[in-house]
Amino acid sequence: MTTRANLSLPSAGRQAGPGLTSGSARERLALGPSSQLGCWWVLAPFLLTACDGPQSALSTGGADAAQLDRLFTVMLVGAVVLWLGINGLFLYATRRGGRPVSRGWAEALIIGGGIGLPVVVLTALLSYGLSIMPDQRAVGEGLRLRVTGEEFWWRVEYWPDGADAPIVAANEIRLPVGQRTEIELASTGVIHSLWLPALGGKTDMIPGRINRMSLHPTQEGLWRGQCAEFCGLSHALMALQAVAMEEGDFRDWLAREAAPAGGAGGAGAAIFAAQGCGACHAVRGTGARGAVGPDLTHLGARGSVAAGILPMTPEAIADWIRDPAAFKPGVRMPAYAHLPEDELTALADWLWSLK
Amino acid sequence: MTDQPPSPEHEFAEEQASLWRITLGPLIWALHFIACYAAAAVICAKLDASPPAIEAMRWSIGAGTLAALAGIGWAGRRSWTQWRDGNDDVFDDDDGSNEDRTQFLGHAALLLSIISFLGVIYTALPAFFETSCL
Amino acid sequence: MQPVPPEESRAQAERLRRTWENPTGWRALSIVNNSQVGVWYTMTAFAFMLAAGVLALLVRVQLAVPDNDFLSADRYNQFFTMHGSAMMFLFAVPMFEAVSILLLPSLLGARDLPFPRLSAYGYWCFLIGGVFVLGSVLFDAAPRAGWFMYPPLSVEDEGVGSDIWLLGLSFIEVASIAAAVELIVGVLKCRPPGMRVNLMPLYAWYVLVVGGMILFAFPPLIAGDLLFELQRAFDWPFFDPERGGDPLLWQHLFWIFGHPEVYIIFLPSIALTAMIVPTFARRPIVGYSWIVLSAVGTGFLSFGLWVHHMFTTGLPSMSLGFFSAASEAVVIPTGIQLFAFVATLLAGRVKMGLPMLWIAGSLAIFTAGGLTGVMVAVAPFDWQAHDTYFVVAHLHYTLFGGFVFPVIAGAYYFYPLISGRMLSERLGRWAFWLIFTGFNVSFLPMHLTGLLGMPRRVFTYPSGLGWDTLNLVSTVAAFVIAAGFAVLAWDLIRPKGRERPARRNPWNAGTLEFTPDPDEDWGARSVPYIDTRYPVWQQDRLVERIEAGRFYLADAPEMKRETLVTSVIDARPLQVLRVAGPAWITIFTAVATGAAFILPTFEWYRPALAATVVAIAGVLVWLWRTATVRPEAEMKDAGLGMRLPLYVSGPGAVGWWGMWITMLGDATAFASLVFGVFFYWTARPDFPPPGADFADAALSVAAGVLLAASWALTVGARATNRRHRSGIAMLCLLAAAVLACLGGAALVGAVHLPDLDPTTHVYPATMWVLVIWTSLHILAGVLMQLFCLAGLLTGRFTPRYDAPLWNIALFWHFLGLKVLVTVATVAGLPRLL
Repeated sequence: MTTRANLSLPSAGRQAGPGLTSGSARERLALGPSSQLGCWWVLAPFLLTACDGPQSALSTGGADAAQLDRLFTVMLVGAVVLWLGINGLFLYATRRGGRPVSRGWAEALIIGGGIGLPVVVLTALLSYGLSIMPDQRAVGEGLRLRVTGEEFWWRVEYWPDGADAPIVAANEIRLPVGQRTEIELASTGVIHSLWLPALGGKTDMIPGRINRMSLHPTQEGLWRGQCAEFCGLSHALMALQAVAMEEGDFRDWLAREAAPAGGAGGAGAAIFAAQGCGACHAVRGTGARGAVGPDLTHLGARGSVAAGILPMTPEAIADWIRDPAAFKPGVRMPAYAHLPEDELTALADWLWSLK
Repeated sequence: MTDQPPSPEHEFAEEQASLWRITLGPLIWALHFIACYAAAAVICAKLDASPPAIEAMRWSIGAGTLAALAGIGWAGRRSWTQWRDGNDDVFDDDDGSNEDRTQFLGHAALLLSIISFLGVIYTALPAFFETSCL
Repeated sequence: MQPVPPEESRAQAERLRRTWENPTGWRALSIVNNSQVGVWYTMTAFAFMLAAGVLALLVRVQLAVPDNDFLSADRYNQFFTMHGSAMMFLFAVPMFEAVSILLLPSLLGARDLPFPRLSAYGYWCFLIGGVFVLGSVLFDAAPRAGWFMYPPLSVEDEGVGSDIWLLGLSFIEVASIAAAVELIVGVLKCRPPGMRVNLMPLYAWYVLVVGGMILFAFPPLIAGDLLFELQRAFDWPFFDPERGGDPLLWQHLFWIFGHPEVYIIFLPSIALTAMIVPTFARRPIVGYSWIVLSAVGTGFLSFGLWVHHMFTTGLPSMSLGFFSAASEAVVIPTGIQLFAFVATLLAGRVKMGLPMLWIAGSLAIFTAGGLTGVMVAVAPFDWQAHDTYFVVAHLHYTLFGGFVFPVIAGAYYFYPLISGRMLSERLGRWAFWLIFTGFNVSFLPMHLTGLLGMPRRVFTYPSGLGWDTLNLVSTVAAFVIAAGFAVLAWDLIRPKGRERPARRNPWNAGTLEFTPDPDEDWGARSVPYIDTRYPVWQQDRLVERIEAGRFYLADAPEMKRETLVTSVIDARPLQVLRVAGPAWITIFTAVATGAAFILPTFEWYRPALAATVVAIAGVLVWLWRTATVRPEAEMKDAGLGMRLPLYVSGPGAVGWWGMWITMLGDATAFASLVFGVFFYWTARPDFPPPGADFADAALSVAAGVLLAASWALTVGARATNRRHRSGIAMLCLLAAAVLACLGGAALVGAVHLPDLDPTTHVYPATMWVLVIWTSLHILAGVLMQLFCLAGLLTGRFTPRYDAPLWNIALFWHFLGLKVLVTVATVAGLPRLL
């Protein structure tokens, strides 16, 4: 089976967000000139693939990523020039015939090339690098997020200004465009790292510490992120989706997210209760209040099942519940293979309807 | 087999100053580095990153840097003299004589001073650019 | 220098041959010669490299296509963990030590290095540990938390994998430090007469610098391993945030080791380059002192870089900035070295050859890796690149260019020195182009794979992210690299008996390494007097005169293995050192040490304790046999009318230097534990937790006083013995041992009596670990005191033959300081915080 890392928002929902569907990364992004340049420098010898992708640090949808892309382009051009210079000189030195150069010249080369050149280049580069650090780590305004790394998924809490309780979600991060959002990073078991390359750099989530980062999306869009610090068996399968929305849309969405689960429930809800799913999962508006696993209140409104590894369809939900470890080795959730197919379908349909 | 010094103790005594100077540059760099790192760690973690404390630290790092550079400069100056003060006019040091050994150690100390000097300046740059503990 | 009559010369050669003759058949395992052990060491490291390379191929197969199920997640994690661990600990560092052990005696015109049995012991430890660690892959029990073993993941990992990593590799680290001691003392004390510091071959300078770095870099990791194993085995909460611990301490200790480690790997290959380039440029190196100083400078700066592996851990920008700055600064000395090579080539008349081809390839690859290194050293860029395939590409570029290629160049260059045959020019070119092309096609695309968002250490990935083609290309090209290594391996092992022997010094090198006859075990026929940097080029008929036995130690009339010991700066002859010959005690002790480290992996603590006792007994027997040997005469004619003592004690002796250097490393490990206390204090608000008990003040002070008295008495024993008051010296040692035992007991009591349970919080745990560390050293100190007491009682140690007394006094100087710091930290510091 080949999975495609497609990003999507469920079409059935009435989302006000960017109506993007699978594989349409190109439609959404107007790549800045700098990112194109940086990309083509890398690509020159290969010409195999494109630089933009939903998880590419070179297709920038945020202020931080754009700044770093610019930095990279500058460094890349410099590196190519220096590489050609040094190796050209070496080639010349081994191939040339004729009279050896004098000791004085040779020592001047050591001083010029070994001290003079690096001092100039490195001082400039170091100053450039240090000068953008305050921007990259600037404090966010308004909304605050808290993302907690779990094995192997993301707990996401939205703390609007002045709120005393968070709006809890999972495995998807939504951010308002045009403003910098503060993100607190925590972890319960092992070290993880939150990385959304198209928006900015990564920061680790370390048990016992609260780290912080901030992101500043500059355009609407859908991006993929992934855990970047090795966290065990399913480190490769701990992904998430980030959605950048216009501020008004974001506010509307957040209000819907804060509301309890809609819908009557029916058979699926009953099975959910009967199987004790609520011991681990919360579905606000029902009796389920578990906090061990992801909050499922608006599961159907998310882009994927199981932290970015399965598409958001009733079938995928059913497959997952039947045997989670088949998709994600080392997962904490037990298998429910003993459930009859019709009950599984009903359960999955109900979960999928939680928009 | 020329000019052998009488004993190893003598040998160390003769080069004590230059051996000391060889380590001085890197040692100053290391102390400066550790002081900067420890100061930042303590102020950011223990003093709640209070802005006046950070300001004070940045100024102290500036002053400490000047002092470190002066120290390295002094060592470098002495090494320069040692390197250049041979009896011969060539600054070769590839001969089996006491003089070439002394010149070599002098040159060595000078070059290490240069590297340490640059290292100290680089270490101080972050204190110039970063104004908070974020 | 009088000519030697031919028949006399033949008789001398025959005596030397018989003296240095090595056992054959299965008894060859008892060989301890550095030049022989060096060959085993090199071959073993190469074999481990091939094994780790196979793991890399399997990893690449798994990543060839998206959603592959060639390897399970668990298997994949074991394989990538072992690939990294083996390449670092079983190949890169040991390879440097192996090559150095192999080359150094010839390069220094010495017969052997001062402690051949230590090298042999180190080799056997390395072999046992390496087979144990690598073998775990075959039993599906290998470590799987990454070669960096970050807690909490590695601590919580079930199964024995993490223990195998911790204990197996700690064991190998001990062996590495042993080899480093041997190499440092060798360079400082076993140079040929006249080879002053300004004339040393550059390789020897690098050995000195890298040996020093090993001494300061490995101990923090050993300290970390200790904390780690205490948490895994006894639940002491060093990395558990619930009980005041912090997973970041491990990262600090690991990378304080890990970054110098990168330069420990890189500098030796620069050293090989520094030997090869002048030979092919056919002129002395340009900028000798520049290169020496760059090596020393790199050694220093490399200790200020470690946090650049932790740029994403959320430390304050200012702290990151310091490390970013040092990471950029270290480029300067590296650049100086590279430009010195270019300058040498420009100032010479270059003759290309196979080794130079590999050097050129190394430069092309290394400069690319260095330049991406400059990029990731800029902290903000690293926030994107860290833990992605960009870094995978970067590190492989530095390691292939900065290690693998120069080592292969060295293999082609130095092979004739070992076997007297040349490697094949044709196969060498094939291997080069296969590895060079395969490497670049495999790893260059990874830069882009990483920037397109592919993290490291993922066992699978979905399609649709632009990574598919890039990964497939990398995998295919990895097999091209493997083909190149197959050609190289075949060239190394193919039988060459029927080929024409190589010319002595086939490349016409200027330094001494090619002067010994590869068919003889004795090293240099006679130890030359050196007064130039490139003696073979610059000293008239040097090789001929060495061969004619016209220098020092041309004979072995007493049939004893001998080499010259010289002074540190000017290489003035000081002593004729009797070097140890073949022995089984080294293997025996290595096996017992191995058992002591390996058995706890399976929680067999009692057998492990027994093995520890046996290992210690082995060491004592070994030392007793060595220390009680007394030469038959006071002085000996070393040739050329020079008379030198056969026995030296105190600062002139190699043993004293060995102790000094070992203790420096040991003190570093202790300092790392003290750093841990400082770290917890800054990182945690509850260190010490409010209301916690303090160590007992009276007992702590008593421990300090008793141990200081023991220290003074030990030094006193040495001094009184010198003044022929052996009786008083014996009393001193006896009293010292008793006081030390009492002091040790008081120290343990100081933390045991109050309510300081190490499993409850990290504060009591750190106090306990300092006390345990110091107590173990006190135990060793007592054993040494008793050892010397036994020597005096049996009359083996006398006022004249008192080297062990000097050495243990030196040990106690270090121990005394350690005790004072321990008491101050355990009893004083928490009261102040």
